[in-house]
Amino acid sequence: MEATREIYWNIGHGTVLSMYLLAAAAIVLLARGIWMRVAHWRQGKPLNRFDRYPERTRRMIAEVLGQKKVARVRAGGVFHALFFWSFLILFAGTLLVMLQADFMTPVLQINLLQGHFYRGFSLVLDVAGAGAILMLAGLAVRRFLLKPVGLETVNDDYRIHALLFAILITGFLVEGARMAATELEQNPELALFSPVGLGVAKLMAGASLEKLSLLHRTFWWLHFALVLGFISILSRTKLKHIFFTSANAFFAPLEPKGALATINLEDETIEQFGAATVADLSWKDIFDADACTSCKRCQDRCPAHVTAKPLSPMKLIQQIGEAAESGSNTGLIETIGAEAIWSCTTCRACEDICPANNEHVNKVIELRRNLTLMEGTFPGDEVRTAATNLEVNGNPFGMAFAARGDWAEGLEVVRVGEGEPADILYFAGCYASFDKRNREVARNFVKICNAAGVKVGILGKDEKCCGEPARKLGNEYLYQMLAQEDIETIKATGIRKIVTTCPHCFNTLSRDYQDLGLAIETEHYSTWINQLLEDGRLKLKQGELQDCTYHDSCYLGRYKDILSEPRALLNAAGWQIKEMDQSGYASFCCGAGGGRILAEENLGSRINVARIEQAAATGAGILVSNCPFCLTMFEDGIKTSDCEETLKVRDLTEIIIERIGG
Amino acid sequence: MKILVCIKQVPDMESRFKPAADGLWFNEADLAWRINEYDEYAVEQAVKLKEQLGNEPEITVLSIGPDRVVEVLKKALAMGADRAVHVQDSAPQQKGPWQIASIIANYARDKGFDLILTGMQSQDRGSAQVGVLVAEFLGFACATTLVGFSYVDGVIHAKRELEGGLKGLVDLRLPALVTCQLGLNIPRYPTLPNIMRAKKKEIETLSVTSLLTEEPLAITTQFYAPARKEGGLVLEGDLNEMAQQLVDILQEKTSVVR
Repeated sequence: MEATREIYWNIGHGTVLSMYLLAAAAIVLLARGIWMRVAHWRQGKPLNRFDRYPERTRRMIAEVLGQKKVARVRAGGVFHALFFWSFLILFAGTLLVMLQADFMTPVLQINLLQGHFYRGFSLVLDVAGAGAILMLAGLAVRRFLLKPVGLETVNDDYRIHALLFAILITGFLVEGARMAATELEQNPELALFSPVGLGVAKLMAGASLEKLSLLHRTFWWLHFALVLGFISILSRTKLKHIFFTSANAFFAPLEPKGALATINLEDETIEQFGAATVADLSWKDIFDADACTSCKRCQDRCPAHVTAKPLSPMKLIQQIGEAAESGSNTGLIETIGAEAIWSCTTCRACEDICPANNEHVNKVIELRRNLTLMEGTFPGDEVRTAATNLEVNGNPFGMAFAARGDWAEGLEVVRVGEGEPADILYFAGCYASFDKRNREVARNFVKICNAAGVKVGILGKDEKCCGEPARKLGNEYLYQMLAQEDIETIKATGIRKIVTTCPHCFNTLSRDYQDLGLAIETEHYSTWINQLLEDGRLKLKQGELQDCTYHDSCYLGRYKDILSEPRALLNAAGWQIKEMDQSGYASFCCGAGGGRILAEENLGSRINVARIEQAAATGAGILVSNCPFCLTMFEDGIKTSDCEETLKVRDLTEIIIERIGG
Repeated sequence: MKILVCIKQVPDMESRFKPAADGLWFNEADLAWRINEYDEYAVEQAVKLKEQLGNEPEITVLSIGPDRVVEVLKKALAMGADRAVHVQDSAPQQKGPWQIASIIANYARDKGFDLILTGMQSQDRGSAQVGVLVAEFLGFACATTLVGFSYVDGVIHAKRELEGGLKGLVDLRLPALVTCQLGLNIPRYPTLPNIMRAKKKEIETLSVTSLLTEEPLAITTQFYAPARKEGGLVLEGDLNEMAQQLVDILQEKTSVVR
């Protein structure tokens, strides 16, 4: 018997018109539902996320079809990916049937759904259907039985699961009834290519042809109604993520990670700095709430949330959406809470893991800009003091600016301010210049460079804070003031290459300063020294094999994707890394980012201690870091935890300096 | 109501101080400058009073010195002062409090100020005299070291910080001058809109020579760092002998034991 089936068997071609009309109505309802959201999003300011659309489109297709971000977290993620592909296959299959019946047969007079193709088609769809049911069951078990902590389940979730199950199961019931009536006896070898349908058909085998006919038609219309229901309510349930989350892969920023809007302080027409109400945010900020699927992965990784601070990145996104429901004038600070807003360390773990491409961090900074620039408030008096110190002396400690270059005493450095040439400008930063522990890093860096024959120039007392902590706390004015001065000073030296020992300075000089007119190549010491090693200008001897664990700082790892070079250096120096569970892109913040290095931690438990305990748990005994903030936080954390005997922290430069030679 | 606030630009106290070439004051190289801390309380209190009175009062802020003092004037304007007066003087550090106070009084005399606020003292010179002298020059009521200030129906109710934790309550009628002490208020951090508005406020520049009519009453003759202290003395030996030695030293060398 030939391998094909009569499409619309038992349903009749007469119903096709009403079927299309009903389907059109459902689609209109869907489109209207989406269209009504547009006005909601437009309460926010305009933002161009439509540029370079071929690139955006390619990215969206790759992410949606590939499901890579979704599957990154195995629990739930793999199930969702498989469920999605199965459902997609079923959808494509149904479309193909429709195309065949209403276009290819009557107009082109070709039948694709026959022979080997049809056999393959049947098998694939059956497997997809079974897979979808299995994966959905897995997701349901996770949500309703295992109940992971923090996963909110609402009525909507019950309805959606029920609806999807019903659609899938009625699909097989339709197939089973059809096969029982037309294939079970008539074409048994074709039936093998629809194994699940075959199983269902066998259950109905005893019934009469009339009964099977009735069952088939009933299930067919039931399945049809459920699908139409699915389509029409889509925009009003969590299922809207099919559109909005996919769209967010299109709308995701193309700028480098961590790029912030640089306020034009010359513009005298600006009356509101930062975000106080919904109207002060962009449409994308409101859209993110619709793209959010409440998967809570951001919350699970947020160092503030995990240490019981009032911040949840997921709630932040959703609260903005809720506020927007109440109108564009809705105040945000009261809804979200100043304490939550100040708790963020801008570590980007939330954005890194978010499968919906939501942008959490910049919203926090916009809210902070309002708090700082419009209300003049700070997370604490100590931060205010630090801000004043930055204004007066160009460093948050309040130490005399004239002493900024004192760390270099006795070292071979060039004061480039006086026009002397150098190979690189070493932008030391505030901590390396003034903090006792971090001065060692600065001194080591210079010695390492000298060993490689590199002439190091410094600005000394002409250097000021790069402004990053101020910027991340919302003080755009103070940041730009400091930045403009630094940029002028740096440009005047004529230097062509800057190297820093601080990832925060590194990010700020290489990316943020470009908006303010600096276009000089800037590197972090890890990639710079690694390059010296690769070029043969620096030689390291392996020495005794040592164990350590390595902390990827947020601003080097997640922000700049620099994960392998520091490890290469450690290995070249003869050190062996016992990785922590949360390493690489999943690295857990030390707690000092987002300007919080200037603030006291008064809520919840200590973020730095949490990380210290993770490091101590590796048993490696030595924790290696690459950032002055991390080094400071970890030294502090070791003293205030139980790990004083079991863990020491070293900067990467301290490892390298001991192994120069060979 | 017309309010005058007198502010001084002082070096940041963390700076390294070295005597100037003339040996009469400190060298200004490598110094970071900021508004005198006590003067910040004065500016803040003036702005608070203005807000209390429905923004009717006009606050003038004045500073004496070279071009760099414009920065502290701008800060005061950003905090809420309405206009600024810059008395251009290339060497204010050569003038003692008598001359400084006379300059201010000469400026203020015919302006009809109801209230003048100054800091209790400056962080560099610390004379604590300018405010009081200005009040005397002008015949204003005066109270110093305020840690509390309220204004009701034309009367200032001031709370002064005295020794031993005591507070003195003083009522003054206008015109009056008060000097402000730590604890009076928490100066506001200027908001960005206020910083931008401040850029448009008037800064009037006057030459100090037009206002200087007094000769100095006291002259600085020397400015030097204190001599390095000698090393400590370590007592050794018998416990009773050491105790006696210690008592002898305390009696002879200090006024701790009588």
